[in-house]
Parts: sequence; C-alpha cells; structure tokens
Amino acid sequence: MALTTTAGRATDSTSVARPGPVSPPRRRKRRPSATPYLFLLPGVVIFVVAIIWPAISAFQMSLYRWNVFNSQLSQWSGLDNYVRAFQDPHFWLSLSNSAIYMVATVIPQMVIGLAIALLLKRKSPSQPIFRVLFYLPVVTSWVVVSLLFKYLFDDSGLVNFTLHDFLHLESTNTSWLAERGSALVVICLLGIWKGIGWSMMIYLAALQGVPEALEEAAEMDGANRWQRFRAVTLPAINPATVFLSVMLVIGGLNVFISVQLITGGGPVGATDVVLTYMYQQAFSFSDFGYASALAVILAVLVLVLALLQLRITRTRDGEELA
Amino acid sequence: MKRSSKLGLAVVAATAISLLAAGCSSGPASSGSGTKANPVTITFWGSYGNGGNSTQQDALNKTLIPAFEKANPGIKVKYTDIAYDSLLQKLTTSAAGGELPDVVRADLGWVPQFAQNGVLVPLSTSMSDYKSLAAKDYPGNVATNLYKGKYYGLPLDTNTRVLITDQAALTKAGVSAPPATFADLQTMASKLKGSGVSLFADSGLGAWNISPWIWSGGGELTNKGETKATGYLNSATNVQTVQMLVDWYKEGLIPNLLTGNKGATGTSDGLPKTKYATIFDGPWMAGIWSGQYPKFQPTYSPIPAGPGGSVSVVGGEDIVLTASSTHQAAAEKFLRFTQTSQFQLAMAKTGQMTVVPALAADQAKFATYYQVYSDQLKTAKSRIASPNQSKIDTVLSTTLTPAFLGKSTVQAALDSAASQVDALLAG
Repeated sequence: MALTTTAGRATDSTSVARPGPVSPPRRRKRRPSATPYLFLLPGVVIFVVAIIWPAISAFQMSLYRWNVFNSQLSQWSGLDNYVRAFQDPHFWLSLSNSAIYMVATVIPQMVIGLAIALLLKRKSPSQPIFRVLFYLPVVTSWVVVSLLFKYLFDDSGLVNFTLHDFLHLESTNTSWLAERGSALVVICLLGIWKGIGWSMMIYLAALQGVPEALEEAAEMDGANRWQRFRAVTLPAINPATVFLSVMLVIGGLNVFISVQLITGGGPVGATDVVLTYMYQQAFSFSDFGYASALAVILAVLVLVLALLQLRITRTRDGEELA
Repeated sequence: MKRSSKLGLAVVAATAISLLAAGCSSGPASSGSGTKANPVTITFWGSYGNGGNSTQQDALNKTLIPAFEKANPGIKVKYTDIAYDSLLQKLTTSAAGGELPDVVRADLGWVPQFAQNGVLVPLSTSMSDYKSLAAKDYPGNVATNLYKGKYYGLPLDTNTRVLITDQAALTKAGVSAPPATFADLQTMASKLKGSGVSLFADSGLGAWNISPWIWSGGGELTNKGETKATGYLNSATNVQTVQMLVDWYKEGLIPNLLTGNKGATGTSDGLPKTKYATIFDGPWMAGIWSGQYPKFQPTYSPIPAGPGGSVSVVGGEDIVLTASSTHQAAAEKFLRFTQTSQFQLAMAKTGQMTVVPALAADQAKFATYYQVYSDQLKTAKSRIASPNQSKIDTVLSTTLTPAFLGKSTVQAALDSAASQVDALLAG
C-alpha cells in the first residue's frame, strides 16, 4: 500500500514536470525497498493463517461428508449439504431467529445510542462518569452478563419478583425462558443493553465533528432544535450511522454466546440461532460438513447484506452531493 | 541497508515457515515404555473436577497416580482436568488436530462415536488380558464399549439413577415412605394436586431421562439387536407410560423444567427446598447437597416399579486408549491399574461408584446410599449403543416435548420418534 503511494507520487511528479520547458535532470530510478513488505508480512501471515485459510477450509469441508477425525475418509458430496440446509426446517427457524434478533437489536441500539450521545455531548462535571457507566456493559464479558440475565429472568428471579411480588402486575410468575417468544425478548434485551454503549461512543465521536458554524448558521436562519438536528446533525453524522448499521447487522446475525448461555437454543431448539445450530451440528453430532455449509451460507448472507447497505448509502450520498 | 533488508526478509520468512511447519508436524514418536532414568509420560484427560469437585482430583493426583508411578518407575502420568461440558468439543478438535492425549476418561455414550471414527484402539484386540479384566465388571458397563464386534474401552466408574425423595414433601402428601410403584405415585399425585409441591421433576426428555420410565413401564426403546425402534418405542405400553407423565405434567405436577425451561428451579435446588417431592438422580448429588444444603436429608430408594419392574439406566465413564498414543504399552499398564480394587475403592470413597460388583459390599461401607445404587445397577440397562446417541437424544426431546405441551398426541410423538430413530440406527 505504502509502496504504491510512493510510486504513484513519483509518476505524478514526472508527468507534471514533462510539459515544462526544461527537462528535469535524469534521476536514477529508486529500486523498490523490501522494508514495507517486511512490515506487512507478520500481519499478512496471521491474516492468512487465522482467517483466509480456515475460511477456505470451511468451504472445502462443506462440500464433503467431512470426517473430522480422519479427513482422508471424508466423502465428496458436492452441494448436498447446501441442499440439505435449504430443505431443513430447523435451519430456517434458526435463520429467522437470527434475523429477528438482528432487526430487534440494531435499530434500538442506534436510536438509544444516539439519544444518549446527544445528552452526553454537552460538557458537564458528571459527563465522564455517565460515559463510563453507559460504556461499562460493552467491556463486560458476554458470559458474565448472559448468566446475569439468565438469573434475572429465572422463574424465581428479580424480574418476576418485581412484577409479581412487588408491583403485583402478574398473578403468577412468568416462565420467560420456557417459550420461544419471551425467551427471544430476553436475549434481545441483553443485546440492546450491552450494545448501546458502543453506539453511543461512535456517535459521540461523530458529533464532535459536526461543524459548529453550520449549527449556528441554521440557528440564525430560524431553525428550531428539531430542524437543526434533522437538517444539520443527522447528515453530518451519516458516515457514523452507515458504519454502525453495517457493523451491528453483522454482529446481530452472528449472535451466539448469549443464546448458548441463556437458553442453550431451547426449549427444544425453539430459540436456536444459526450459530448455535451450527455449533450443535459440529460439536454434538460431529457433522462438520453440514456445519461448515451453514457457516458458508451465513457468511455469504452477511457479505451480501453489508454490500447492499454500503451500496444503498453510497447512492444516497451521491444524490445528496448532486 | 539493502543487505540488512534482504537478511531481515530471509529471517522473517524462515521464522514464518518454521512456525507453520511446527504447527503442521506431529510430535516425535517414542517407544511404548520408559525407564526410571528416562521415563515416558502418559497424558490423561478427564472431568473429575467438574463442578469444582477437588476431592476426586486430589484422590487421583495425590494418592493413585503417585502409587502407580511408584509401582511403575518408568512411567509418569499427567492428568489434565477439563470441564465436562467442554470435554467432547475439546476431544473432537484435538482429534482433528492430531493432539489427543494417550488416555481419556470418556462418557460411555461417546465411545461408539469415537470408535466409529477410528480414534480409539480396540482394547479387546490389543490387550491379551482384556477378557479377564472385563469379566470382573458389570456386563451393562462393558457393553457400552462395544462397536462392530470389538471393545474399545474398559469400564472406569459407573452410576445409575434412583428415586430420591424429600421427607417434608412426602409428609405433605400424607405418605410415610417413598413411592415404590407407579400406583403409589398416582396416590401421591392426587394428594399433591394444588399443594404447590410437584410430584416429580426432571430436566429433559432425552434417553437418560425417559428410559427408566419406559423400561419400568414394561416397554423397550428398540429391538434386541438395536436395529429398529418402530414397533418398540411407539408400542401401546410406552404410549400408556408416557401418557401417565403427560397427564401429571398437564395437572401441574411436573414442572416445565422437563420441557426445557432453563429458568425453572433445578432438581438439585427444588428437592431440598420442598418444591419437588421426587427426582431421579445419581450418587453425585450427595456431595452437592452436603455442601449447599447441609441440613437436607434425602431418602434414596429404587425407581418406582411399573409393569416392567424397577429398571433404571446405566451411566458412568469408560477409560479408552487413543490410536494416536505413542506410549500404548505404558498406557495399557495404567488402564489395568484403574481396574484394581485400590483404584476402584479410592475413587468410590470420593463418589465414583465402582464398576466391579465384587467390591460393592466394601463400597457400601463408605455411604449407605451406595447399596441402593448397587442394587439398582443389577437390573439397570444401557442406552442404545450407537454413534448417533446424541442425535437420538435430540429426536426424543423434540418429538416428546410437543406431546407434553398439548401440541400432539403421545402416539403421534412416539411414532415420529420411532421412525426418526430407525433412520439413525440404519445410518
């Protein structure tokens, strides 16, 4: 990358100099240095070994009835694992659960994260404390908070105690984790609570970059607070919104730890998401070929969604610029 | 500068290549047994410490392994404890990476699966004294090591499920003794209705959970050869037995812990808190309760008898030798050591029941409840010995749960389960 830039600059300077009346003195062409490659090598090696190679291996495994214990005994099955996935009702259920989680968590995280960022933008003595408090769930371990939520929504947990024994809003305790709908609500609530702090941080950084002059100009023009927010602030932080939505959609579809720890995909697979179903196929049933096919399908889906999001937002930018 | 760049490139490239090569290569081969000056080390994985239990690990690391090493000066044993929940995953990934230990304490349900994949040494072929060693153990436990005519492990410890009751709950139900039959349970059920105390609780509908009911009810899971479930699992007898449980569930006498509610009170808390009157569980519960509920005095008794008698399910662990082990002779010596009365009784003292029936009387001296378990083991049966055992568990749970939730009939649920199990047995 660095080498290309250097070479590019050298070419530019040559082309600029060419039309001049005096030819520049002929310089000895610099030989490309190996140093940038050396700096890049460790990162590239790690990336290839830890990301690219496993991804290629997973794709290869998805085309076989893969024997994880002795790969030479694996049998070629072509696209059978993919056909099986598309005909497997439990795969569709797990995919729909992943999609529900993604939709139900992405928008609240962004809206609430932005609202908190706007509140914390103003300087006040308590601002750093609130920033830390809102960011705390982000740096807390998924395992810890998942178990915490499991206990909170336990049949005899704090939530039922509050609703039933304290506020008397329920006649009996609700079994939150006994049914698909209520169990997904618990899992989504955890996802939103844990993710708000991250969205807030990104938005806070973006809000620092909104030119004050624009805000002042809008104010001078008689725009009220909402109009200033809609016409000045929101467009100015659009890159942050695009970045957040892409990252949160990817993260939402990849939900795993919270589901695995809170419901284990249960009751009887009703809250399985794609990754818990994939994990079960791989590590409970040793069906690595099928599990890999599920992983590839999810990866392609995430890639397509991310590209679509980028394309849509780029078009909108183009229109705005025009 | 140029020279040093080239040199640097060469060094980095060489390091990367050697790192990759190191990752891909396997360890050096070595002979099967060592000498006192140059001992071999056998690696041994298990989950004795599951749930923070240090007693069993201490018995192994501080007493038994030193005793074995003293008797076999050329051999060292290195035990690594892995949580039970992650052991199967760890074994699978290690097998794939060619990094398995020499010896594994494996759940008896995993042995056929690993044997099918060529990970284990068939001990009945490699150990000349296998027959005489296995002859001393419970036949039900030995059977769990069988795959396609060969035995791939030796029983290490055993357990089964018996009925455990809470006297306070029994008093609430107006009975003085634990229910001995299905009819006694029905009597208790009518008295406990509306009392807030569940008649029975369990945490799932897999083979480990449902088999004692089916066998005691006089039914079977499959035919004798374990090749067919249709006609057995969905028999009229089994429909009647499962219907009895479904009726209790619908009357609120069995909590939804059975159908997968992860937020329900677990059996280990529900029984001492008098939320549940009866549960089926293993001998390890005594250790858990002595720490968490020291005042709780559980009563252990046989599984309530139905038309088929009082029949429970065999659990426990086998000890297996991996095919990738480079110290097979030394590892086999350790396997033989695990079958001795010294090993078996020392572990029995910590809660791991012996697989040698001849030692049952000595074992009963450690705790009175052991006798109930030993007696139950005499009639206990093993689950279907299939590489697809995990899938069979999933099939049973997913088909039976709708019947309990009123979304299907028991007959339809068992029909569906039977046809799916047929396919798994054929595969």
